[in-house]
Amino acid sequence: MIQRLTIAALMLAIVGLLRTAPAEAEPYLAVMTGYKCNVCHVNPTGGGLRNEFGVTYAKVLLPAETIDNALDSWTGKITDRLQVGGDLRTDWSRDTAPNSPSQQAFALEQFRVYANLTLIPDRLGIYVDEQIAPNGTQNEEAYVRYGSTTDGFYAKGGQFYLPFGWRLQDQTAFVREVTGISMTTPDKGIELGYEHAAWSAQFDVTNGAANATTGSGYEVTTQVVYTKPIWRVGIAGSSTQSNIGDRHVGGLFAGLRTGPIAWLAEGDLVHDQSLPGGRSLAAGLLEADWRVLKGHNLKLTAEYQDPDRHVSNDQQTRYSFVYEYTPLPGLQLRAGYRHYFGIPQNNTQNQQLILMELHGYF
Amino acid sequence: MDSITSLMRPAARACLVLASLVIAACAGNGEGLDANGRPLVPGGTGSLPPLSADFDSIQANIFTPICSVCHMGGGAPEGLRLDAGDSFNLLVGVPSTEVPSLMRVKPGDPDNSYIIQKLEGHAAVGSQMPFGCPTTQPCLTTSTIAFIRQWITDGAQPSAAAATVHAAAPLAVTSVVPDGGEPVSAPPPQIMIAFNHDLDVTQIDSRSMHIEKLSPGASPVASEIVPARVTVSSANPRALMVWPSLPLPSGHYRLVIDAGSPSRFSDVAGRSVAVGVPNELGQSVISTFVVEVLP
Repeated sequence: MIQRLTIAALMLAIVGLLRTAPAEAEPYLAVMTGYKCNVCHVNPTGGGLRNEFGVTYAKVLLPAETIDNALDSWTGKITDRLQVGGDLRTDWSRDTAPNSPSQQAFALEQFRVYANLTLIPDRLGIYVDEQIAPNGTQNEEAYVRYGSTTDGFYAKGGQFYLPFGWRLQDQTAFVREVTGISMTTPDKGIELGYEHAAWSAQFDVTNGAANATTGSGYEVTTQVVYTKPIWRVGIAGSSTQSNIGDRHVGGLFAGLRTGPIAWLAEGDLVHDQSLPGGRSLAAGLLEADWRVLKGHNLKLTAEYQDPDRHVSNDQQTRYSFVYEYTPLPGLQLRAGYRHYFGIPQNNTQNQQLILMELHGYF
Repeated sequence: MDSITSLMRPAARACLVLASLVIAACAGNGEGLDANGRPLVPGGTGSLPPLSADFDSIQANIFTPICSVCHMGGGAPEGLRLDAGDSFNLLVGVPSTEVPSLMRVKPGDPDNSYIIQKLEGHAAVGSQMPFGCPTTQPCLTTSTIAFIRQWITDGAQPSAAAATVHAAAPLAVTSVVPDGGEPVSAPPPQIMIAFNHDLDVTQIDSRSMHIEKLSPGASPVASEIVPARVTVSSANPRALMVWPSLPLPSGHYRLVIDAGSPSRFSDVAGRSVAVGVPNELGQSVISTFVVEVLP
């Protein structure tokens, strides 16, 4: 069995070399490997169901230890045409804010399942991402996809996440909160995409969050990424036309690998005319992921946001220290500490968080 | 030893860069700001009022500092803006987009108010709010939610300050959804007209207001009345709902208060509605909108 796993690892390495840009489960893995999102994920913009390559990467190259009889034949494929996958995250956390009693709790953060049905190989498929728990089920993504998501043009229509910046696992990152575009805010519409060599581009027309209740207006989102083996750079923009006022978002993001460290950076500017007088906001992220050993990753993150660029002294920062240990295929443990710094008169902006997470995936 | 040194070198480099960032990007000192990071108004102290079961206090202590971090402006999830200027009108008596059979806030009935279900974590759809709780930020405590429950039980009254300031103001329209800003891409199932005072439900019925479909290019302006039902929201007496009997096809529309009705169209204090732009019959046009149904 060890021999089979070694062969699988070698095949992965060869495939990785042959591809112009391969996979991710978290964007730091993409930067670390030089892969594009579509190498490991069914969704060409990343996140959600891993494809066969992604599943094999996750069980062979990601964990500290490979197990002979663990998931050895599992690729997520139920049949030639149907592939499934899932993620379950459960946490314990302790929040401490000034002048407030500490809170601690165990929580089921999420259990999500994904399915991809291939109707015509490399041309037509249906994809679903459903959150099963906690609470009731909630559809995150459900779309029809036509065209090749590995080389050439494709189109998808339905409900999906918008392509904008780094698709981080932490949806509360300042860059995701300030832009309002994250894996918590899927939208309905169409996406035209292009994948070729080092290039990846998307153009979306969707309803826009601001128009959820009015049925008028629309949002246009576009992103272009250029990926090389040790670096990448991307630019993204989004514009929402709405009765309540237009909203424009622009962002630049980049990744760089230096030895065992993957660096991620993103800067975003928002101008929101739906707020009284119009308001400009800014957010930034710098993340360093140090692959200490196989299966061990240390993540350091520094973040910044300015909730109103015309108001002085209101900036906020956030620093995180997270250790990720992937002992076995399908299991990851995370532990971390996060400190928020904001204006002294606001307790929430100065909280501290200790976090432990158990993540099972297939 | 060399191997340990070489192993630690990247980490030291990462720490150095991040430390530089820490020094370069400090948080604001809050000078001249209130507790929610907004500029102090002249004479203001900047301190928050104690949390109590009234809307002003809930807005200042919960909606503004916690909820409006995400639920603000054009990017607000589900279109729900919880900043001070919008939250009341978008909460009270307004159906939830996730579970339309439930109102976000149903006055007098906290258990069937969707906001309570979301805050307590037993809503039928989606995550508990505030988003990320309890993992990445604290959930609201039971005692904090109790204040919101009490406010709803007491009838979900609006801001006391706003009520005082506007008490003498004439009855007027504050917002219409949809309005004339952008064409509506699907026939709106209902049209909501929000007023600045509680409407007198005994004065208002389907004869009080109607929808007209305009014939473009006709001179003088030609129009036909679209059958519709007009009701005051049982949960929010400041919201007038107009329900078209049939899906509105593509075209230009306007909302008109019938001639003679303005005197009968009044609030609970007997104030008549301020007259809008008169149409060719002298009736009061309060809003126009365009429907462009996609093929």
